[in-house]
Amino acid sequence: MKKIYSIPLVRGLVWLVVGLVIGIAAVAGIRAALGLDATGRYLFTEHAWVFGGFVGTLAFIATHGVMGDWFKWWRGQDTPEHHEDPASWLKYLGPSLDHKVIGIQYTITAIILLVVGGTFALIFRTELSFEGQQFLNPDQYNTLMSLHGMLMIVSILLGIAGLMNYLVPLLIGAADMAFPRLNAFSFWIAVPAAVWLLLSMPLGGVETGWTGYPPLSANPAKIGQQMFFLGVFVAGWSSVLGALNLIATVARMRAKGMTAFRLPIFVWASIATSLIALTATQLIGLSFQMVMFQRLFGMGFFDPAKGGNPVLFQHLFWFYSHPAVYVFILPGLGVVSELLPPLIRKPLFGYKWVAMSSFGIALVGFLVWAHHMFTSGMNEYLRVPFMYSTLLVAVPTGVKFFSWVATIWKGKIPTPMPSAFLFTIGAIVVFLMGGLTGPPNATVSTDLHLHDTYWIVGHFHDTLFGGFVFPFFAALYYWFPKATGRRLDERLGRLHFWLMTPAFLVLSSGMMRIGLLGMRRRIFDYDPALGFENMHVTLTVAAFLIAFSIAIFIYNMIVSVKEGDPAPGNIWNSRSPEWQVPSPMPAHNYETPFEVVGEPYDYGLPGSKYVEFMKK
Amino acid sequence: MTHTPDKKSALNQGVVVFIYLAVLTALEFALALFLPNVVLLGVVALVKAALVAYYYMHIYKLNREDSGEGHDSLAYKIGTNRLGLWLFLLSDSFVFGGLLISRFNLLGMTRPHLNQYLGFGVTAILLISSFFMNRAETSIAHGDKKGFQTGIIITMLLGLGFVVGVVGLEWQLAKIEEVIVNKDVVGGIFYMMTGMHAFHVLTGLIFLFLVWRNGRRGYFTAENHWGVEAAAVYWHFVDVVWIFFYPALYLIGSTP
Repeated sequence: MKKIYSIPLVRGLVWLVVGLVIGIAAVAGIRAALGLDATGRYLFTEHAWVFGGFVGTLAFIATHGVMGDWFKWWRGQDTPEHHEDPASWLKYLGPSLDHKVIGIQYTITAIILLVVGGTFALIFRTELSFEGQQFLNPDQYNTLMSLHGMLMIVSILLGIAGLMNYLVPLLIGAADMAFPRLNAFSFWIAVPAAVWLLLSMPLGGVETGWTGYPPLSANPAKIGQQMFFLGVFVAGWSSVLGALNLIATVARMRAKGMTAFRLPIFVWASIATSLIALTATQLIGLSFQMVMFQRLFGMGFFDPAKGGNPVLFQHLFWFYSHPAVYVFILPGLGVVSELLPPLIRKPLFGYKWVAMSSFGIALVGFLVWAHHMFTSGMNEYLRVPFMYSTLLVAVPTGVKFFSWVATIWKGKIPTPMPSAFLFTIGAIVVFLMGGLTGPPNATVSTDLHLHDTYWIVGHFHDTLFGGFVFPFFAALYYWFPKATGRRLDERLGRLHFWLMTPAFLVLSSGMMRIGLLGMRRRIFDYDPALGFENMHVTLTVAAFLIAFSIAIFIYNMIVSVKEGDPAPGNIWNSRSPEWQVPSPMPAHNYETPFEVVGEPYDYGLPGSKYVEFMKK
Repeated sequence: MTHTPDKKSALNQGVVVFIYLAVLTALEFALALFLPNVVLLGVVALVKAALVAYYYMHIYKLNREDSGEGHDSLAYKIGTNRLGLWLFLLSDSFVFGGLLISRFNLLGMTRPHLNQYLGFGVTAILLISSFFMNRAETSIAHGDKKGFQTGIIITMLLGLGFVVGVVGLEWQLAKIEEVIVNKDVVGGIFYMMTGMHAFHVLTGLIFLFLVWRNGRRGYFTAENHWGVEAAAVYWHFVDVVWIFFYPALYLIGSTP
């Protein structure tokens, strides 16, 4: 028992529950003493649950051990720069400072949340197969649908953080991130966030969809909405602090000779992503916090009866939540640009343009948020500028596509195609579909008809699969040998790809089809006279096929860690520095520092070199 | 090599900057009385913020070249820490920016009915605290531990005075003026803005306390006083926020 308690994750979770109980008891006690209601529909009042969640979060991070060194610093004590990790797998449950361990922690947590969020989707997808009520009631449907959205978003944020944490220090030749303790903190604070998101289910659920628009989200009947806001708020801090760390790392920790235009494209994409996450995330935090306070203290920010303005919420919310989709996709598009040159043995076409295009997308992304609000009742003259700024995003995105196509042109397609290559190509195809279905939503005249239909659902699943899911899997197939020293099974990988891709294309195009025919999003039931039932059954089958393919992938990971083909060296014949040292990566990265002496992607040019290791 | 001024001229610089800030604050108040123009008030606030950011927060240190020293040197690490702190402040300023946008969206050219003397008083207190914070940091940068201790204590007392002035007095007086938290959006915005700011002042006070206690144990030297610098920059940042919040809540617009 004592041995289990000594595992940091378990200890933190125990104290999270203790903190929750203490916080609830404190508020309930004070309210009882003041003669107010201490109990409510969900055992206690909303104030008690929110304060309990707040105390629980603090209790988790304080007892987990991730702040141990900071506590010592505040007492004026010095700590060693690095802590050795235990050799066993238990290091993944503790506050390791090694960016590679933290990267793997992020990635595994992302996959776990992907499975949970995907399972929610399967459940409500099955419910939607036939008209009328099957086995969910409308409240349960809304909760599963809302949490599917938010859990997937948190999963994506953790997934890109995993890739960036693992790869960026290796790609730029750093020993670790700039702030290793903050790095561990950013990961571990995401754990209570996930707990609060899931706790919203037994507390009445969430009925608003992931966007949490008031006045519906200010409905006092559902305490689950508060836990949802709290979870997103805490997850937001994880994202902000991770982004801060990454920018500082790239700014200060680069190897000798690693000038701006010799950085790998993935690093460029990571900085662009981090700039958005660092700044805009605060506004979703603020908007959710304002709804929380409106519910707790009656501050009427979004309540028209008190002079508030619900549209203000949408402005604050989308100021983050539109750039957020670029946070999700930019690292993925960076992975595509990163993998194509070594896999087809050709230089990346238009390196500088691709590097700048990530920044172009990020900066234009700050000016487009109101295209989500064409039907919200905001001032009509605002629609046209937001339409044009949105269409402008297609320009830097197009630069990326031209670069990929020109890089593939006359390249050597590897045979047999490795899974990493398949997923890279899949990402390009699926993201192209997502990209082409975007402008109709950005154009005011068509968006007024498409708004809130299943067309939109199909469109953003295309962009997020093409921009995150496919590149994420490509990156895992490509860098898994670097992390473990063993390859993932290629046959299972191909099966994964050839199951998932057709199923996904059926799913997203089917969604768009019924959306054009009038299927609304976020509804529990539909009129049988619309004739959507056959299509809904097809979509459900496709969703289960995707789930099955991901189950194959997870099985592949678990088996290959122990039994995969050994891959000790530079299996991709890459020029990138991380492949010039043995796999799995040594604990302190590069034994001897390297110097950058050439261009990163000059594949096929004889005699050219990217990095040169210094002699000791 | 950058030129490091001697202690006396560094302290004098702090005094001169403080006089500028005080004059600008008085000017701001007079403008609100006689020439209530949003643009003018905004310009004055921007000038004040720029003065604090440059002379008290030393934003120019971000641009310092650390070449010639290895990545493992103390100076390089402090430079990295400094960048991290400023990135955090950039992030945090989006919270306060969002609050300002909400204030102008919801209240427009009206403002809550508040006690002007108290508002001016707490603003002055926070500004003076920034002056003493700067004095404390300059002292430790020149190895004067006694001056550093005195400066920190005065800063903490003034900071405490600010919190008491806003939360203890202003919140009670506002209630009498019908600025009530759950009555309408005016009360909501007023308590949200002052509350969020007071929360940052409180965290700043905690940092100052830790710095003061570690300083008493002789933990900081002229070469390595990153803890002091970080607490000081954060404290000045909270002051900069108030430089914008004060006109937004007390000076711009008319009371209904």
